[in-house]
Amino acid sequence: MQAQPEQQEQQEIEPGQAIRSIGVRDLLAAAWAIFVKDLRSELRTRYALNALVLFAASAAVAVSLGVGFIGMRRTDEYLLIQSALLWIALLFAALNGLSRGFVYEEETRTMAALRLAAPAISVYLGKLLFNLALLLLLDTVTSLLFIVLVRVEVGSPLAFVLVLAAGGLCLATATTILAAIIARASFKSALFAVLAFPLLVPPLIVAIQGTALTLDSAGMTLALPAIRTLLAYAVAMFVASLMLFRFVWEA
Amino acid sequence: MAQRMAQTAKLLVGVWIAGVAVAMFLVVPQYEGLGNAGRIIIMHVPTAWVSVMAFAISALFSGLYLWRGRPEHDDYALAAAESGFLFTVLATVTGAIFSQVVWGVYWNWDPRQTSIFVLLLIYAALFALRSSIDDVARRRQLSAVYSIFAFITVPFLIFIAPRISDSTLHPNCAFIQGSTCDGIALEVGKLGLLGDRKVELLSLDRAGDVVTAQVQVTEPGLNGSATLSPTYDVALDNAVDRPNFPGLRFSLVVEGVDMTTNSVRLNIEAPGTGLLDNGRTLFTFLASIFGFTALFFWMLNVRATLLGVQWALARREGARS
Repeated sequence: MQAQPEQQEQQEIEPGQAIRSIGVRDLLAAAWAIFVKDLRSELRTRYALNALVLFAASAAVAVSLGVGFIGMRRTDEYLLIQSALLWIALLFAALNGLSRGFVYEEETRTMAALRLAAPAISVYLGKLLFNLALLLLLDTVTSLLFIVLVRVEVGSPLAFVLVLAAGGLCLATATTILAAIIARASFKSALFAVLAFPLLVPPLIVAIQGTALTLDSAGMTLALPAIRTLLAYAVAMFVASLMLFRFVWEA
Repeated sequence: MAQRMAQTAKLLVGVWIAGVAVAMFLVVPQYEGLGNAGRIIIMHVPTAWVSVMAFAISALFSGLYLWRGRPEHDDYALAAAESGFLFTVLATVTGAIFSQVVWGVYWNWDPRQTSIFVLLLIYAALFALRSSIDDVARRRQLSAVYSIFAFITVPFLIFIAPRISDSTLHPNCAFIQGSTCDGIALEVGKLGLLGDRKVELLSLDRAGDVVTAQVQVTEPGLNGSATLSPTYDVALDNAVDRPNFPGLRFSLVVEGVDMTTNSVRLNIEAPGTGLLDNGRTLFTFLASIFGFTALFFWMLNVRATLLGVQWALARREGARS
């Protein structure tokens, strides 16, 4: 019922043309403005921050209770288990918090205002930046907690950071457009996990194996193919999102 | 006229599939080592092929819907997803049965099992998404976007499959002609990997034309090993004895011998290797692929038409009230 008047307005404006007449610099400026706005409102409510950080902390503690005792031998299998546990914590925390950007707009009924204020691509880029910032924080907190509590010893820190960053990029690029999709549906948070998980299986497999390699000391050369695959996935998802986001935004 | 042709086509597809089912049991010969269980590939491979094709067709029609905005395209996309889901379930179940019979496990996270599992999840997610949006136009548009977006991840599943294929159970080189499975060349005393098993060539003995290789095979995780002795006839240039890997129906085969460097080329061979060399099996297999593809398109057409009729009725109801 609410959607129909909005759609009529959309037809008159024709978003594709609006984008072309604006220019790249203004587009990016609008995206940055949306990012700053989201950051500011997040710092006021701290909803996503609390959800992500507390989730990461409880996951790390729960894992540490199980496998954190001294005397675990550092076999290849143990490294793989550690990195799988790390990525499980990251994945579920991300699935908890990353849909926030769009769901929040829907809940406070500011979607229409945002639609008037900025072109679709800027909205997407702004939200993506916000999700990337959240993931940066999440990656840092979770891996620090794992290093401290689960006694994860990182053999080659640079490779470890790169795999985490590339995996985070994959998470953000694949889920941002899904957050926009589920903002319009019912059972939002459950649906978000259902939609996101199948898309995240390929990068997860690569990221888990890549992280396990970086925990060993000769990591960089071994982890490079994993990083490359993750980046390729992130780029594909990003480009697809740029092309498809317009349709989500119009719907 | 068109109606009569559709009727005929429907009957033809039914008769064709029935023929394939009969041929599967009566025409295809049993092959060594698998017994009757081997017949399942006549069903398994075509259903797996149709499930991937259905996914591609669903994404194609989703793209058309986004481009043109015609409801019929969305009906076709949904119909392709629904019938594709059925075929995916069939492929998964037949594959699991076959896997249990041949390899002793229903499920192993083999690359292809991973990808078909992800395919099932994507279909399920698509249906979940559709059922949770009330507004019809919005539901169509958003599920079309998700369908295309999910389809983009498929190349990555195929791309990453080699990364985890160390533990594959799928007999790539056994059933699919033209695919390569090179095996490994080993000198005496050297180690190598065949699939996920470590093999070590202990010695080479020649008696007349027959060369016997003593090969130590170690299970994954280094638990348990056995010594196998496959043999090779140098005069006839083919393998004589193909001992089975312990606990598996795969066999170890010598594909070539080089006595000057004291080395052999070893390979893993699935039961039924060269199965499609058999003409009767090959034609039944091709007929099955054709039959299932035709069946899919028939289901697609019927379901899409039905969805269109439902939509038209719903609109008429809405207009009346």
